[in-house]
Amino acid sequence: MTMDRRSVLGLGGAIAAGLALAPGMHLVAAPQTPSDAPKDPAESPPAKRWAMLIDTTKCAANCTACVDACRQENNVPLFGDPERDIYWIRKVELRDKGLRKPPVSLPVLCNHCENPPCVHVCPTAASFSRKDGVVLIDKHRCIGCRYCIIACPYKARSLVYYKTKPPANTNKAVPIRAAGVVEKCTFCVHRIDNGEPPACVAACKGAEKGAMIFGDINDPQSEISQRLLTAKTQTMRPDLGLKPQVHYQGI
Amino acid sequence: MLSEYSVIEGRSRHFFKVLGGLVLLVLLGAGAFFFVEHHGHAVTGMNNQIVWGLPHIFAISLLVMASGALNMGSMSTVFAVKQFEQFGRFSAFLSIALLAGGLTVLMLDLGRPDNMLLPMVYMNFRSMFTWNVFLYTGFATLCLLYLWTMFEYKQYKKFIGTAAFGWRLVLTTGTGSIFGVIQGREVFGSAITAPTFVAASLTSGTALGILLLVYAYRHTDRFLDDRLIFGMRNALIFFMMLFAYLLVVEKFTRFYDPASYDVQIWILTGSWAWLYWGGVWGVGVIIPLMLLFNHTTGNRVGSITLASAFVVAGVFCFVGHVLLAGQAYPLDLFPGYAVSSPFLDGVVGSYTPTLPELFLGLGGVGISGLIFLLGVRFLRMLPKRGVAPDGWELPWNP
Repeated sequence: MTMDRRSVLGLGGAIAAGLALAPGMHLVAAPQTPSDAPKDPAESPPAKRWAMLIDTTKCAANCTACVDACRQENNVPLFGDPERDIYWIRKVELRDKGLRKPPVSLPVLCNHCENPPCVHVCPTAASFSRKDGVVLIDKHRCIGCRYCIIACPYKARSLVYYKTKPPANTNKAVPIRAAGVVEKCTFCVHRIDNGEPPACVAACKGAEKGAMIFGDINDPQSEISQRLLTAKTQTMRPDLGLKPQVHYQGI
Repeated sequence: MLSEYSVIEGRSRHFFKVLGGLVLLVLLGAGAFFFVEHHGHAVTGMNNQIVWGLPHIFAISLLVMASGALNMGSMSTVFAVKQFEQFGRFSAFLSIALLAGGLTVLMLDLGRPDNMLLPMVYMNFRSMFTWNVFLYTGFATLCLLYLWTMFEYKQYKKFIGTAAFGWRLVLTTGTGSIFGVIQGREVFGSAITAPTFVAASLTSGTALGILLLVYAYRHTDRFLDDRLIFGMRNALIFFMMLFAYLLVVEKFTRFYDPASYDVQIWILTGSWAWLYWGGVWGVGVIIPLMLLFNHTTGNRVGSITLASAFVVAGVFCFVGHVLLAGQAYPLDLFPGYAVSSPFLDGVVGSYTPTLPELFLGLGGVGISGLIFLLGVRFLRMLPKRGVAPDGWELPWNP
């Protein structure tokens, strides 16, 4: 079969036009979710707004209880490759450039911003915010483009660089992420939905003086709301206007 | 004035050498893709600080050049410089070929390339990437329609050609905005990034056009009037000066702000400064401008071609510098404080590309080259003679 030039170009144009238009069309209407269907796990009670407060005066420099608990709880692997290791939470040491204040050690994790830039840039909406403010990644929808890592000003996200097998002590409540997707702190969403605090907060209470407080800032009676009212706190890079929900006291 | 178009014969030894070379590049790219896909991105030089590496530099450079390659077509269709009308087909087809190569690399460097069609299914309309998906497919459509009107329906050529010209400006604005809209990183987040990308596209597209035209005509023993290349040289000089101007304005604006001193001094003297000074300025601007402004070399097709090669390499360095320096500079988590952590906070990111990344990027070049070569072989893209009208004199020569 031979095709003349006109057909080749016409066909090419038609294919390109199809590619341009196809994303906007639905061939078959998706079935509507029945009203009695189980609630989407991505949904949450809108009345809540989860946040964290970290009292750096109580955070010991050599303590990594939160980091270790997070690794255990969320099956976060350590590859032994510092440039590619995954951290959902890490201990950061701050040194005042003016040398007026003593060094401070504090944990840094995803700030679950109210205006999350990672959610803005994600092409497939794999990164999304729940109504209670928890920012999550749908690992099945993530294509591994890494634009969210570029957009996050807190370095809260990691790409899974290595293929690994789940360890023997895997926590089955948290699914393992495949190589090639981006992952980050979920505020231990599987725990908070069951009324438990995130693993890092629980571990901090046990190991140290309880430097981390977690709670609902929409509840004026909650401990975190009370502390935010009375204590002098700050967030990371408030100038960016992202409204992060991890607050620090004592910096 | 216009002569007839014809396909290239494609029987010479040279043709098959080039064809073989391009096929080899595509095979290397395919091999690299499967290697990275099998082992994970750990076999690349990328890490959690530099998450976009050499494949992205290749991909974005090809996309920038794709919109730039339309210059010759736009010059005749939109700006009525009739001497270049004969290269309109060549120009639009080159755009499509470069776009295909760039997009392929971009897709194959995904962490989950098996999910590459998901952006077509689930769309986040706030994402710059999603906008770019529409910009790329729209541009390819317009280029094909443009090509079609040049072959058959000449009465629509002006309309479609003008639309394609407008679209390519928006397209490259979109490409530059991938970095321009990022406010969280000190090096990115500038409104001038997108216009600089447009200037880079005009520059590199013209340079690549000169390179390929001279190459194609020399190796097929066709006549190409030197004055046409001199005309393109003048356009190239203008675009390069626009590019250099935007680079200078960006640095001037940033340096005016005391809060940016640290990061800007790092850019000019830090770990990627060699790429900025040597690659962007040296290779991309100063050496080619010296060649083009010189009375002897500026009036010789050979040295204009050499300058064009420098320009293409320089724009590649520009894209590389934007990406790598932008990611390498550590995030300022707590302004006023020096930070350190096992996650390498506060440390300038390091990146050494590996061979699979190079091969994947070159695979994209191979795809573009192959499409282009087969295009000129089987479709009548090139005029038999590249002629300029009698008595046509350029207003300026070096």
